[in-house]
Order: sequence, then structure tokens, then C-alpha cells
Amino acid sequence: MAASKSQGSYFGLFLVGGTVLCGGLAYIASGTGKLLLVVGAAILLAAAIGFLKIKPLEGETAVLPSPESMKWLGAGVALLGWLVTLGGLHLVSSNGGRIVVALLGIGVSFFGILYVLPAAFNKTAFWKKAAATSARAGFSSVASRATLDHSELTAAPTAMGGAK
Amino acid sequence: MKTWLRSHFLALCILALGLTAGGMAYAETAAAPAQPAAAPAPVPPATAELREAAAKAPTPADLAKGDPGGTITGSIADVTVTDAKAGPTLADAGNQIGQNKIAINFVWTLICGFLVMFMQAGFAMVESGLTRVKNANHTYMMNFFVYGCGLLAYWVLGFAIQMGGAAGNANLGGLYPLASEHTISLFGKTWGIFGESGYFLAGHAYDVGVMVIFLFQMVFMDTALTIVTGACAERWKFITFSVTSVIMGALTYPLFANWAWGGGWLAQMGTNLGLGKGYADFAGSGVVHSVGGLTALAVCLIVGPRIGKYNRDGSANPIIGHDISAVLIGCFILAFGWFGFNPGSTLGASSNGNLRIATVAVATMLAGCTGTFGSILYMWITKGKPDASMSGNGLLAGLVAITAPSGFVSAPNAAIIGLVAGVLVCVSVYFVENVLKVDDPVGAISVHCANGLWGVLAVGLFADGTSNYGGSWNGVSGSVTGLFYGDAGQLAAQLVGISTLLGVVFTLSFAINMVLEYVIGHRVSAETELNGLDIPEMGQLGYPEFVFRPETALKAA
Repeated sequence: MAASKSQGSYFGLFLVGGTVLCGGLAYIASGTGKLLLVVGAAILLAAAIGFLKIKPLEGETAVLPSPESMKWLGAGVALLGWLVTLGGLHLVSSNGGRIVVALLGIGVSFFGILYVLPAAFNKTAFWKKAAATSARAGFSSVASRATLDHSELTAAPTAMGGAK
Repeated sequence: MKTWLRSHFLALCILALGLTAGGMAYAETAAAPAQPAAAPAPVPPATAELREAAAKAPTPADLAKGDPGGTITGSIADVTVTDAKAGPTLADAGNQIGQNKIAINFVWTLICGFLVMFMQAGFAMVESGLTRVKNANHTYMMNFFVYGCGLLAYWVLGFAIQMGGAAGNANLGGLYPLASEHTISLFGKTWGIFGESGYFLAGHAYDVGVMVIFLFQMVFMDTALTIVTGACAERWKFITFSVTSVIMGALTYPLFANWAWGGGWLAQMGTNLGLGKGYADFAGSGVVHSVGGLTALAVCLIVGPRIGKYNRDGSANPIIGHDISAVLIGCFILAFGWFGFNPGSTLGASSNGNLRIATVAVATMLAGCTGTFGSILYMWITKGKPDASMSGNGLLAGLVAITAPSGFVSAPNAAIIGLVAGVLVCVSVYFVENVLKVDDPVGAISVHCANGLWGVLAVGLFADGTSNYGGSWNGVSGSVTGLFYGDAGQLAAQLVGISTLLGVVFTLSFAINMVLEYVIGHRVSAETELNGLDIPEMGQLGYPEFVFRPETALKAA
């Protein structure tokens, strides 16, 4: 789909909703503040629904679906490392002990960020697939060409549909 | 009806904003403070001497003859007096001295803020130069629009979260309107979590000191935001970039910045737990660069590598940027702006140990220099050529790494920190690209995340305890002192800061952007990506008269 009028409209709605919501936060103690908070949240929700509605129009991306639970597990492990560090601050009183526990916490977080998450995202990476499989076939008609001429650059994005 | 709504959408948006602003203006009017009553000032013994000096001051007739040597312009006659007939008093002179101190600090901080703002141009040139010509307009536009997205978000919400409880800065007149920090009690101690005053810079935040700190902190925040645009260049939907930039400017960045700089719990580790002077991050290796770099890593994982970056066996293809001259000029602009970033973080040039700005500036300069040497020598020795783009990244890595320690370390230590950064950035680029399989076109994760974390750690090692910013740091008497100079507690505080960056900032950024992936989607379509993002996303090419070359990497894949 690329950039469109709908995207611009819903982004505008998102900005208005966010601004009104923050106005509500600023004066939360007053009745007007609470009203602004509710109105802002409603506008943000409308913007989110709008974004969801136009999302399928983008067309096929190169990225293939990958295991969602693994991704959230990786983020959870990163968070767990921080909790280990915080626990060390409470349970250990010496500087040396706190340094050791903090290093342990950092190690746990790094494990989540540098091992679990990349493994989750790369498990079904599109670059591992043969060109004949669906995702590669989608753009191979364009990719195998030597050059792209200017008319193709300005044309509506229809080649993906034809390739499928 | 739908057509009417679409055509009047802009008018409705303006109406909604107007109503919000009107409501706040009404609230401000109702809360206007009463003027204090003037009291008669006592006449001190020195008043006669001041009046005698005023009588001898150059007259307008003297000044009318010109002052080529600059010896008579500016005298006691220029001191603002409360009673013109009585002449200057000691109180007038004292008030003038106090206002001069604050004025010097205001001007220093504002000018440094202007320098940091100009760094946006440097980032735009570096990032765009390292990407392909077919995406030049899109990359430049992300760097351009991130400034507006961040500023708006920071004005309406981010500043209040970050600095809403930051009252007490003597350099800028006290910042007393910012005195509301939300706290929690845990393990018998009180911990700051987020600020609660300063929304829209309205109400009591309509204050000259608050405006200075807003401008300075805002440009820092925008620096963090623009780091992400480089890492995700060439495949990121403009709409998703816009939304995530607003959220980062409003929430992710200000939250950690509050913990470190706004009187939050990381800064309180010194007073509450006796860990050194609490988390110390002079100019933002952690607050700005690690937050930006970790967010870049989170979004890069979600958005995935560019088409053609990796072969089926997992080996990486180099995708060469289109303009190395823009890259290196951009690096120089960034190095210039860094003289606002680090020395400006004293938030003043007058009193409270602020003359250390000279040491801070030289430490910044040296670390950039040794960072460049580190990367050039590493590439030259291991790859055979002094690679230009890695040289630029080496300069930036040195500057990123010295950002946190710059206010606390000596010149030789600054040089060591920069040298390590220069090598680290090269090793990290290889690791991110070939081990993690994360595609970062400009090396932003290595420059800002890896070296930002190194900078935070370096404070805990190299801070030499000679700085004296008003006699205390984070409310703890004495100077920030690292492990090599005898304080292991400071290293522990720095490690807690690093753990928080990895565990909280990364996870929060990842979660927010995963939600955006479900709602909007981060990545452009494969066809848009292959054609280049300039036409589909921005409507025009960056360089309309250039001829595109074949995508050789794709044919190989």
C-alpha cells in the first residue's frame, strides 16, 4: 500500500488523541481532566482500529511468521535479569556481592536479548528459504531483473499480486 | 458523510487542539500567584563606596567618544538599581551578581542545546549516506520528522515524566516549579518513579528556568530517537516510524531519564543504599545512547533484515551506502555538536565547579580522536584497508563512550575509554551482523548501544574523584569515584544502571513495538522495498536524475 491518505488521517487522529489524553493527565484532579482522559483514550482507540483496518493493504512483506511465544519468552528473560539485580540489592549488603549479583543479572538479560530473541526471529527467516517458496516467489519477478525503469517506480504496487 | 469527514478532518483536529489548549489557559489564569509586597531595604556600610564608584563611572558623554579598547563599556552605571535617585546599593550589586551567574548558565546551556539540535543534521547525513540512493529521501525524511514527533511528544508528556520532580538545580535558579515526583516506598526507603509536573509547559512551569532545561533535555531526547531511524532504514514503514517515535519521546526515553537525571530511583541509590554517588551518567551514554541503541536493536529484530542482506547459508552481503562524503561530513557535524552535548551537561559555566567545562570538552575531543584511531587501526590491520565508514563509526563510538564519564575523568583516561570504544565498535558490528543476524545498515546498535553501555561501565572504573559540582552528586557529598580510584560502590551503581537498561528499557521498547507490529506493521511490502522507499513512501526520489544499478546481491541470493 505504501503511504496513503488513510495513514495520514489515522496518524492525525493518533496525535489528537494523545494530546487530549495528556491534557487529561495534566489536570487529572479536575472533572475536566477526567473527561479529557476518557475522550483522548477513545480517540486513540479509534486510531488503533483505523490502523488495524488498513494494515492488510500493505501487501506481502519479505518477513515470514515466526514463533510468537519464543519472542515474548526472550523479552521475559531480559526482564528477569533486571529482577535478579534488584533482588541482589535487597539481599546482599556488601559492594562486592552486589557487583557479582548485578553481573549475573546482566548475564541473564544478555541471554534473553542476544540468544533467545535472535533465535526466535531467525528460526523462519525469509533468507533461509529457497527462491521458489512463496515469500521469495512474491518478489523474484522483480528481483531477477537487471534494472528497474522509472515507470515501475511510480506505478501502483500491483506486481506482488500478480506474482502470487 | 465519510467524504465530509475526510475533507474536514484537519479542521476537526485543529478544533480539538484548540479546545485542549483553551482549557489549560483557563486553568493557568485561575492559578496566577499573588505579587509579593516590597520591603524597604537596609542600607549597608558599603553603600557609600558603591555610590562613589557610580559617580566616577563613565558618563554617556565619555561613551559617545567611542571605546575602541573596550575598557570603559560596562561599569557600575550599568547595574540595575531599585531607586535611581538613591543610587546603587549593596543589595542591587548582589542581585546583579546573582542574575549574572544565572544568565551565564542560561546562555551556556541554551547555546549548548542549540549545538545538540544541529546534531540532527549530522545524523541525517550519516544515516542517509550509508543507505542506498533509492531510499535517500525516506531516510532523510525520517531524520527530519523525528525532530517534530519527538518534540511534540516531549512537550505534551515526556518532559513532565522526566523532569517533573527535578527541582533543586542551583545552576538554573532552582527549577522550583518542577517539584512533583511520584514515589513509592520499598524496603523502608522512598524511591522516585516518574515526574508529575510540567505538562505542556503550562501552569507554574511557565518559568524561564524550566524553559532552559526543557530545550536542553528535549534535544537530548531527540538524539536518542534518531538513533533508531538509522538501524531500521531501507525497510521501515514511515507511519510506524512516526507512531513509535512519538511513543518513545513521550514514554520510554523520559522514564529512564527520570530515573537517572530527574531524581528517580537510580540516582537515589547513593542516598538510599550507599552505592557511591548513585547511578552517574554525566551526559547520557546510558540515558541517550543506550536507550536509543537498545530500542534500535528491539525494532531491528522485529522488522527483520533487508532483502539481499543474507544468503541462504547465513553469510552476509555488504550493502554499500551511496555517499561516503555525506557520512564523513555528518560525523564532523556530530563531533562539533558533541561539544554541546558533554560540556553543556554541566548546565552552567559559572560557579558550582562548572569551570570543569574545559576538562569535559578536552576529554570529549580526545576520546573521539582515540576512537577513530582504534577503529582505523583495527580495520587496517585485520582487513587491510582503513575503512571510511568504520572510521566514522569509530569517531562516534569514542564520543558515545566518553559521554557518561566526560565530567568525571582525566584526559589520559578519556583517551583509553575512546580507544577501547573504537575497537569495540568494529567487533560489535561483526557480532551483530554475523552472529545475531541482525541487519543494521549504519552500525547504530554497535555505536550507540554497545558503546553506550561501555561508557556507563567506564564511569564505575575510571572516575577519579576530582570533579566538584557544588560539592555533591545526586545528593551525596563528595565526587564521583570509580573502582580504580577506590569506590567499588560506584561500580555497583553503574552495573545496576546497565541491568536496568537491558531489563527494563529493552523489554519496554520491545513490547511497545511488538504491539505496533500487530496493529500497524513495521515493514514495507517486498515490492516497495525492492523498488526503493522513496516513491512509494515519500512520493518522490531523493535524486531524480540518478540511474539505478542492478540489485546484484539479490540475483546471487
